[in-house]
Amino acid sequence: MQEYSGTIRFILDGRVMEVNFAEAPGVGPATTLLDFIRSIPGHTGTKEGCGMGDCGACTVVLADVTDGEALNYRTVNACLILLPMVHGKQVITIENLAQRISGELRLHPVQELLVGHHAIQCGYCTPGVTMSMFGIFKNRATANAEEIGLALSGNLCRCTGYEKIREAAMKIGGMADDDQFVASRPEVVTRLKAIAEDTSTLVIRNGKGFYLKPFLLREALDLKNQHPGAILLSGATDLTLKHTDREKRDLTYLDLGAVKELQTISTGDDHFRIGAAVTIEQLRLFSKIHLPPLFRILNRFGSQQIRNVATLAGNIGSASPIGDALPLLIAYGASVTVASSVAVRSVSLEDFITGYHQTQIGQDEIITGILIPKPEPGPVFQSYKISRRNQVDISTVSAGFRLFITDGIVTSVILAYGGMDKIPRRARHAEAALTGRNWTRETVELAMKALSNDFSPYSDVRAGAAYRLSVARNLLLKFFLEYSPDKTDHLISDQDHG
Amino acid sequence: MAEDSTYTDLLLHVTGEAVFTGDRYAGSKMLYGKVVTSTEANARIKSMDITRALNLPGVCCILSAGDIPGENQLGTVIADEYCLAPAAVTFRGQAIALIAAESRETAEEAAGLIRISYEPLEPVTDLETAMMKNMLIAPQRRIVRGDPQTALGKAPHVLNGRLATGSQEHWYLETQSALAVPGEGSGMKVFTSSQAPSETQMVVARVLGLRKNQVEVEVNRIGGGFGGKETQANHVAAWAALLARVTRLPVRLQLRRTDDQRITGKRHRFISDYTIGFDDSGKILAYRIALNADAGAATDLSMAILERAMLHADNAYFLSDVEILGRAYRTNLPSNTAFRGFGGPQGMAVIEQAIDRVARFLGKDAASVRQVNFYTPSHQTTPYGQILPDNHLQTMFDRLVISAQYFERRKRSDDFNSRNRYFKKGIALTPVKFGISFTTSHLNQAGALVSVYTDGSVVVNHGGTEMGQGLHEKIRTIAAKEFGIDPSTITITPTNTTKVPNTPPTAASSGSDLNGMAVKNAIDSLKKRLIPLAIGELANRNGGISRAAETITFNDNSIFSGSDPGVRIPFPALCHKAFLKQISLSSTGYYSTPGLFFDREKGEGVPFHYFAYGMAVSEVMVDLLTGEHTLLRCDILHDTGRSIHEQIDRGQITGGFIQGAGWCTLGEIKWDKNGSLLTDGPDTYKIPTIGDIPSIFRIDLLENAPCKGTIHSSKAVGEPPFMLGLSVWLAIKDAISASGNHETEPEYTLPATGEVILKSIEDIIKRCPAKGLPPLEGEGGEGS
Repeated sequence: MQEYSGTIRFILDGRVMEVNFAEAPGVGPATTLLDFIRSIPGHTGTKEGCGMGDCGACTVVLADVTDGEALNYRTVNACLILLPMVHGKQVITIENLAQRISGELRLHPVQELLVGHHAIQCGYCTPGVTMSMFGIFKNRATANAEEIGLALSGNLCRCTGYEKIREAAMKIGGMADDDQFVASRPEVVTRLKAIAEDTSTLVIRNGKGFYLKPFLLREALDLKNQHPGAILLSGATDLTLKHTDREKRDLTYLDLGAVKELQTISTGDDHFRIGAAVTIEQLRLFSKIHLPPLFRILNRFGSQQIRNVATLAGNIGSASPIGDALPLLIAYGASVTVASSVAVRSVSLEDFITGYHQTQIGQDEIITGILIPKPEPGPVFQSYKISRRNQVDISTVSAGFRLFITDGIVTSVILAYGGMDKIPRRARHAEAALTGRNWTRETVELAMKALSNDFSPYSDVRAGAAYRLSVARNLLLKFFLEYSPDKTDHLISDQDHG
Repeated sequence: MAEDSTYTDLLLHVTGEAVFTGDRYAGSKMLYGKVVTSTEANARIKSMDITRALNLPGVCCILSAGDIPGENQLGTVIADEYCLAPAAVTFRGQAIALIAAESRETAEEAAGLIRISYEPLEPVTDLETAMMKNMLIAPQRRIVRGDPQTALGKAPHVLNGRLATGSQEHWYLETQSALAVPGEGSGMKVFTSSQAPSETQMVVARVLGLRKNQVEVEVNRIGGGFGGKETQANHVAAWAALLARVTRLPVRLQLRRTDDQRITGKRHRFISDYTIGFDDSGKILAYRIALNADAGAATDLSMAILERAMLHADNAYFLSDVEILGRAYRTNLPSNTAFRGFGGPQGMAVIEQAIDRVARFLGKDAASVRQVNFYTPSHQTTPYGQILPDNHLQTMFDRLVISAQYFERRKRSDDFNSRNRYFKKGIALTPVKFGISFTTSHLNQAGALVSVYTDGSVVVNHGGTEMGQGLHEKIRTIAAKEFGIDPSTITITPTNTTKVPNTPPTAASSGSDLNGMAVKNAIDSLKKRLIPLAIGELANRNGGISRAAETITFNDNSIFSGSDPGVRIPFPALCHKAFLKQISLSSTGYYSTPGLFFDREKGEGVPFHYFAYGMAVSEVMVDLLTGEHTLLRCDILHDTGRSIHEQIDRGQITGGFIQGAGWCTLGEIKWDKNGSLLTDGPDTYKIPTIGDIPSIFRIDLLENAPCKGTIHSSKAVGEPPFMLGLSVWLAIKDAISASGNHETEPEYTLPATGEVILKSIEDIIKRCPAKGLPPLEGEGGEGS
């Protein structure tokens, strides 16, 4: 029998807390942060509303040291975070916001806002909403109305109708950053840095599972070689979902989230390289300037709490038929870099995904990054996501298009769709109907018809096949109207724009 | 912010210190309960093997029907709902066995080890089949006035149709939760998130075979109820109590979200057939409606819900010749239950749809057709014979069309539509008239216990439960006003069956109406005892001049006579004096609503104490290419009488409206033919997010409209705004209709999901191809 081992360290309630998995009864590497927090006396403020990352009642904030002395504060769903993931971070819960100063309760500014606006009814969602407000407060340089909406859409409230929450949140932008976390920051940074000094792989093993957390790519690759069956994770948002509902606990996990080499976005001459552990939120902020159609789709990717930990590599690795960002990445001609301890290779995304939740990744390989070619001048790109609900919903149909027109003729086109088949893929018949032809409504209508040769979509709980096909066609028409040479047939009339 | 302000509850919430059922004793030695449920919709249980589960380390006990010491029955209205299925199951998600284990994970693992074999029978899992097979759960109900058949024959125009309205999941943020703690002897204390503590007490006592006085039920606060915890919180409480009785340890049972969605009932889906006769002005001459409700596997509250649907089939419109039929059918699905509006939305949706069709048929503005049909002082009798004394419909219409600029915006919306092929705007105004009282008349009662301490601080306990609707805060406001003292000196303690017995559920929007009155009556009794003492004390301080009892006032934390307002006794001083004089400082209060009766056979009576009114204008934009819609603006005018607490009332209106809009557009519940819930989690069942609310959202309370005979002239507010969500539904329909230049009646159902909307648009384009939208039909591979 393997020996039990593994100690993680993180900051909670302003103090360094150690969890020794070899000794802690009832705690395993797959224990969620939510269950762990609620088991600590006096920490029941963090609520479980769904256990699936959809409602945000369990929102807490994780802070980690960014370059230099700054702390990056991000909201997460505690129900989707595995306990070892918080190693080396500060965990801030609802209990940490208000202070008792010589017996007197002093609310945090965001708490004052929610109380003052009477933005609370039953109160069960309130701790989570408050933590998301705190997240906005700590990142308020970018807190315009749209960003505030995005930051709060992962917090469901069934009572208030949100209006007062929105009103309260809109006041955050003008507030001074003078809360107690400013004062404690230097100490927190020092302590977190001390934890980070030990870069030897964290090995956690007890009766409830086996968890490996390397900090260097070399070690990550070796570990994958030694443990080919290990489940890869970074943000774990997809993985944990399977765990909160099922009893598959005794597994081997390989956590890539702390691997330094995988955490950056780099810009080459002709491409952007997105490291496998780069969060969707990092990428979203980057794409705002560099890849606007990607920004558009990432604004509708999960919730703030999910974007803050989920990764594009995870999105690709899970190879969902829908995968919000995947059609656009196909349109961009993105490729996936996979590495083993002996080799590195690059595969086009289209080839990489081979079937329903299947990729051609080898047992000893991990995704290390995604290469997105820099869009050259000429072609236009666009992305679409159609879902039942605008925010925090799985696409019914998604699409990513690339169109290159020369002298009114379509010289090349990529029409990639998600939600239409077992995998996100291109519509070759529709593309053929456009290629080499005039970019006119007539041609586009032929391509729309051709889509029924491309896809026989499925019916599921989200929508029927007929709806999917209609939407897929209409998105093509919408794309045409957005880039139409015919100024008489607008998507929306000039007068009504903006 | 001062801690003893009136914001106490908000402070607890925003700091995470508020204790919910699931937070009690967290971290202490206790067991975790898990319910094992049926995977068949209709089947005989052949056998159950619990051996493996029982052998799992950490499992303490496993119970099934035979282990119930009392009666195996949960039904509170009709006894047709087992606590644990004994020999057969009638829906998927029905409880069969209970597990107590040392951790939640162990309990869940054990559940997976239990093997149950079934002999499946044919289930009925859709309402149409149940209707076809005439599987009525109770006899049909009928309300009739005048001669609708003849009136229809004479009407210049007649339209008929069928409308399906969907179910709705409560999606309270806190799932069903209970903690049962065994007491001394066979006593049991249950902490629960129940809207009906007295019913929970009754059910727990019945299942355990105890007297009610051996069971204490306490509700501190509920993390959202919306009707879902009116009867169905009893189940979890009974299950936890059964496990606690056997193990002699506290047992916590909080349902996982997917279990909650699979096991508990929802809003009743309805299929309704209607015929409407009208003249050229749009005036309704006759209306016939048959409401068909999906009750699910047990009766639960279905007949009361059906009754309320029937009593609201008129909504705000006078119907001279009318027939309303109500039928509830048994299906092999979880028993549907109370949900905000309680049948009202299902009844109203039909007449709103019918009037919308009348308007389109006549080429008239729908709001104007509504106005033509409002109840008026000369036409003020409902189909069941109750008279509306203070009908605000016309006043509210006049104010709202101006404040919301309804007619200007209708014009602007038409102009927009004439310029745009791919996006259409729609606008709709809908009213609500909602009857306030339980239609089961005897439930309209409440009790309170008010205790004053010698320092003048006050504890109020009443039968209502706090679930976010602000009831406790309203009660505190009422008590403060009655005693003339600072609200911060009043504490509202958790609802507890040992303090106030035999209480009705906190439901039917009646919480503050009933309990507020009961609290007032308790305080009146106390004041009656204190006034003679005060007269004497004031006389002592005023040179022996004694004032009449009628002049004595409780105000500004003191007691004085209106004749000498300068001479006062502080409230605490009077309380202390009363103690010294051996005067009781504690009193119960009781209230029952006067004059209510309803003859169910005849369909006649006075079921409601009064009516609450509301009106909304909603504007949307629909993307004709995708079926997506955006809610642009909502203007609501609502009648809360003289509001006890404006911020709370506004919160109820906003939240109710968005919940209603969610029912109308977003939240679709799907079952497969085997009775399996397909939308069993938040990933597939969607409630509105902050991204779904309109960017312009205006809420006004109707001014100068005090209500007669209610606590502080206020009106109930919990349910009525829900139904204003229908304005969003009809605004979308208006936009769809614009795609065919309002010449074609759109196919329409509720909820209007993107799929329903796009299909409706495509259908219109098929029927008038000249409009030249994209070629959406005609070639193969279309699917259906």
